[in-house]
Amino acid sequence: MADNAKQTSADDFTPIAGADRAKLDDEKIATPSLTFLQDSWRRLRKNKAAMIALVLLIILFILAFFSFIFETHNPNATNPNLANLPPKIPGIDINGFNGTIEQSGERINAYAQAHAGNHFYILGTDYLGRDLFSRILYGTRISLEIALIASFFDLAFGVVYGITSGWIGGRVDTLMQRIIEIMLSIPNLVVMVLLILVLKPGMTAIILSIAITSWINMARLVRAQTLELKNQEFILAARTLGESSWKIAFKHLLPNLSSVIIINLMFTIPTAIFFEAFLSYIGIGISAPQASLGTLINDGQKNFQFLPYQMWYPAIVLSVLMIAFNILGDGLRDALDPKSRE
Amino acid sequence: MKINSLAKLGGVVLVTGLILAGCGSKSSQSKKQEINWSTPAAISTMDTSKMIDLYSAQVANGTNEGLLRMAKNNKANPGVAKSYSVSKDGLTWTFNLRHSKWNNGDPVTAKDFVFSWQRTVKPKTASQYAYIFANIKNAAKINAGKMSPSKLGVKAEGNYKFVVTLNKAQSYFKYMVTQPEFFPQNSKTVSKYGNDYATNSTKNSYNGPFILKGWNGTNDTWKLVKNTKYWNAKDVKVKTINFQAVKTPSTGLNSFNSNKLDYTTLSGTLAANNKKNKAYTVFPQASTSYLEFNQKKIKALRNVNIRKAMALAIDKKQMVNKVMQGGDITPKGFVPASMAKHNGKDFASQAYVKAGTDYDLKEAKALFAKGLKQEGKKSLSLSLLGSDDDDSKRSSEFIQSQLEKLPGLKITVQSIPFKSKLSRSESQQFDLVTSAWIADYPDPSNFLDLMTSNNSYNDGKWSNKQYDALIKKSESTDANNETARWNDMVAAEKILMQDQGIVPLYQQGQAALVRSSVKGVQAFTTSPQYDFSKAYVK
Amino acid sequence: MAKYLGKRIFYIILTLFIVTTITFFLMKLMPGTPLTNQAKLTPTQIHQIYKQYGLDKPVWQQYLVYLGGVIHGNFGTSFQFSNQPVSYLISSRLGPSLIIGGQGMVLGVLAGLIVGAVGAIKANTWVDTSATIISILFISIPSFVLAVLLQYYLGLKLRLFPIADWGGFMYTVLPTLALAASPLAETARFMRTEMVDVLSSDYIELAKAKGLNKVGIIYHHALRNSLIPVVTIIGPLAVNIMTGSMVVENIFSIPGIGEQFVKSILTNDYPTIMGLTIVYSAMLCVVLLITDIVYGLIDPRIRINK
Repeated sequence: MADNAKQTSADDFTPIAGADRAKLDDEKIATPSLTFLQDSWRRLRKNKAAMIALVLLIILFILAFFSFIFETHNPNATNPNLANLPPKIPGIDINGFNGTIEQSGERINAYAQAHAGNHFYILGTDYLGRDLFSRILYGTRISLEIALIASFFDLAFGVVYGITSGWIGGRVDTLMQRIIEIMLSIPNLVVMVLLILVLKPGMTAIILSIAITSWINMARLVRAQTLELKNQEFILAARTLGESSWKIAFKHLLPNLSSVIIINLMFTIPTAIFFEAFLSYIGIGISAPQASLGTLINDGQKNFQFLPYQMWYPAIVLSVLMIAFNILGDGLRDALDPKSRE
Repeated sequence: MKINSLAKLGGVVLVTGLILAGCGSKSSQSKKQEINWSTPAAISTMDTSKMIDLYSAQVANGTNEGLLRMAKNNKANPGVAKSYSVSKDGLTWTFNLRHSKWNNGDPVTAKDFVFSWQRTVKPKTASQYAYIFANIKNAAKINAGKMSPSKLGVKAEGNYKFVVTLNKAQSYFKYMVTQPEFFPQNSKTVSKYGNDYATNSTKNSYNGPFILKGWNGTNDTWKLVKNTKYWNAKDVKVKTINFQAVKTPSTGLNSFNSNKLDYTTLSGTLAANNKKNKAYTVFPQASTSYLEFNQKKIKALRNVNIRKAMALAIDKKQMVNKVMQGGDITPKGFVPASMAKHNGKDFASQAYVKAGTDYDLKEAKALFAKGLKQEGKKSLSLSLLGSDDDDSKRSSEFIQSQLEKLPGLKITVQSIPFKSKLSRSESQQFDLVTSAWIADYPDPSNFLDLMTSNNSYNDGKWSNKQYDALIKKSESTDANNETARWNDMVAAEKILMQDQGIVPLYQQGQAALVRSSVKGVQAFTTSPQYDFSKAYVK
Repeated sequence: MAKYLGKRIFYIILTLFIVTTITFFLMKLMPGTPLTNQAKLTPTQIHQIYKQYGLDKPVWQQYLVYLGGVIHGNFGTSFQFSNQPVSYLISSRLGPSLIIGGQGMVLGVLAGLIVGAVGAIKANTWVDTSATIISILFISIPSFVLAVLLQYYLGLKLRLFPIADWGGFMYTVLPTLALAASPLAETARFMRTEMVDVLSSDYIELAKAKGLNKVGIIYHHALRNSLIPVVTIIGPLAVNIMTGSMVVENIFSIPGIGEQFVKSILTNDYPTIMGLTIVYSAMLCVVLLITDIVYGLIDPRIRINK
């Protein structure tokens, strides 16, 4: 075999024809070169639960932000004669969806009692006869807006702050930590309450106060992780090889921080929604007649014993939202974590 | 007394229909003569000179007693005073006190009343309710720091005769002395504890049917225990009343259903869903919730057509039945129905002006268009101020939706804490505001005084000379002539309603669940609203 | 160590000073006085009341007086409760809050550690999945919804525990459960992530290769190393509990400081709001100090005296 090789002539080396060129890659034993993001997306797609969560979230976002298309009634139109009607979907005769409700031990047709005629509300009405379905869509939007803005601040500010503090170290770190420590030493709810009292209750006040308080945890965790990573071999190696600090931060630190960042981000969203709901609960949140999931749950829980649907539906939407965010967060973490790369 | 609608607290009329029906309440409990009562707020102080809220006043009415004691059907029964007499000109009231004792054994004397009243009026005490003494001779001057407290028109003639001199005749003074601000104070106890006086249950003296126990100044539970030194202790049957401050009505309802409470208040949907419950009871109140127009700040609101249009656009019947859903009733006017009677006729019926409380959207639209034209405006944008408790929020949202049915009217709702609302109302920082007033004593003047031009509670600054003149007449020339005074007041109320100075929204009533085994709790439509001295458990 | 402690305590005092200052001036920005019937009071009386509350002096003097008071544990007089010092108001209500808060924290963290650790050890099995579902559910349900559900089902329907009120251990069960949910979920999630990382690390592989038994590995190496980062979230968890307690105490009618805080907000009782803000901050400072010390003790890589 080896001897024969010497006998090859120039003719043996004909250039590959155009059609055959494509087959060249067949010989390669390598995955296609993917960017970090492409690679993560590929792995995320494999995670069924995360994909379901993503689809759910997309649906919820569309429903919420285009609620004016889907809502069956004006979310703020009152009709006290049709107040507190249970859910009714025409054609479905299952308790809970047929417009009947338990009252002092017996089931009565609430729609007939209220002379509702042809009106029907698929998730029922609230204490002023407003359509609960439309209000939930509307409320979801408000809650999402608040949560997204809070998360944006969390990311934009918290991560940069954390990396800077941990990476530079020394006096800068000490100073930055002192600032964080002072902010952390006031429970953020108290900060929010104080801010809202000064700014007067309303959407802007809530967003501002959540924004001001939400980035701290992220910054702290990112810093802790940075400190830990800073002394690890691969960072030291990169340093020794003379990589610039910025490059190290983005290329080496950030991917390794992603799990912490994403987990924490996934905590921020429910936390932000929770705080909004909480502020509404104690009476300084979103003001009437606006609604958020928080105010809806609040209104509903007062009558939970008699009109359970008024709390259950907004609570379910809120929980689905949260669960979806959480599962997607988990999926993203697995996908983004360099250590789990195949 | 300005009230928060959250602060609605009913007395208890034990409706006669509610006999024995008992939903399985244990008989062993019944024998214990123990009642579990709920209240929406903790006691803020037990110092009667500093009391400003209903709930503290209610507790004080159990633990202490004034010259007279409020009883059913607007009666002022003998209390510490066995009897009293009024001079012909109505200015001098003489009370003959009985020999009764404080719980520490000291006798209750006329000097205790003199001490207490002087203490409340003198500026140093900084009593926020001192103005209620204004009709007592020299009180205003003392209160302003211009005269010595000893000059107050009260006198102890010996230990058991107490003489009061008034500025003007005041037929309802007998009701005023049933109120906590007029209770006696034990001077020894007050000086012993100084600044700490009445800041907890032990640093106080009691002369009423019960003694306060277990109140540490800030807690949410306390007890009224029978006072064996009370002069009428033999008639006090109940041994203990456990009070529990319940923060949310649904928690109260749950506690009631598990037999931890014998009384809990309801509103809104909770009330609607309990209407068939045998324990469901409504306690009417001499209290009106009403809408005020800021006529000082907003020029358009000085237009009577616009005011009338807004009044007619609000469906009060729907508001009461479908929105508030509790014990509230549709209003007849500003002065609540069944509060004051003269010659068997109810004030509110006599002064009834249909247009003032009616609902007619068509007429409202026409009037509103007319009003806007007169003002040269195309539209009007107003904010509606209300407090931030559930009931107020609900009523604000409802009023908003009703008023916005008037073409060209835009309403934004602002809900803020009760106290902030109060201070903003008083300083005219609002366009529209919902207010509520509960009578301190069952006399129409208690309401009508509010709407005189210079009254500080006339938040909207509605002003009508004829009205002012009638009220003044009722307090001066006609003060000692029952019928003339009554007619003045009826005429005044009619003017108020015809001019739509305010819009009455509903007359408040407290819906509650009361355990059927609890009997004999007396309820009044005015403060202090209920009295346990004759209560018992069967 | 002593030097470190001294330094930290100095910073805590600095923090509290800043908190006090900011809160004081924020509160001064707000309208509201102890007066209820302002319109009905004579000027002499108003002056008298202002004097009683120290409001007759210029703001900077009020500030110095307040600061001096705070050093001595005096937070002024409540607007809401006549003649009642704020410090007494807080101290008389601190107990119930600490009890349910402490119980909720301990229960939440312990249960969370177990759920998280089990999930990690049995990673990618049904055990892990159910552990994840539990933590996701608990994180998704707001504490006040949970509190309402607990009160209704365990309290009213099953009559297992008292519905509301305060008076012994049984009364603390439902509020504790309501408070424990969120720390449980957060701890479990955090613990699981950390432990999965640790379990797949080289030194665990090495230990396995050396033939150490599994229990030993988990106990000596994995658990200990996973616990370290968990310590960092104790502070935020404490905040969670404080926040949660405000609604939970309201729903269960518990005479604690959380309930008082909400009430003070609604009644504009500024001295109490200020006092509680400082107390909350002080409690949090202490929790953070303790966690940092613990963090330093268990993680040799972080030198606290650096």
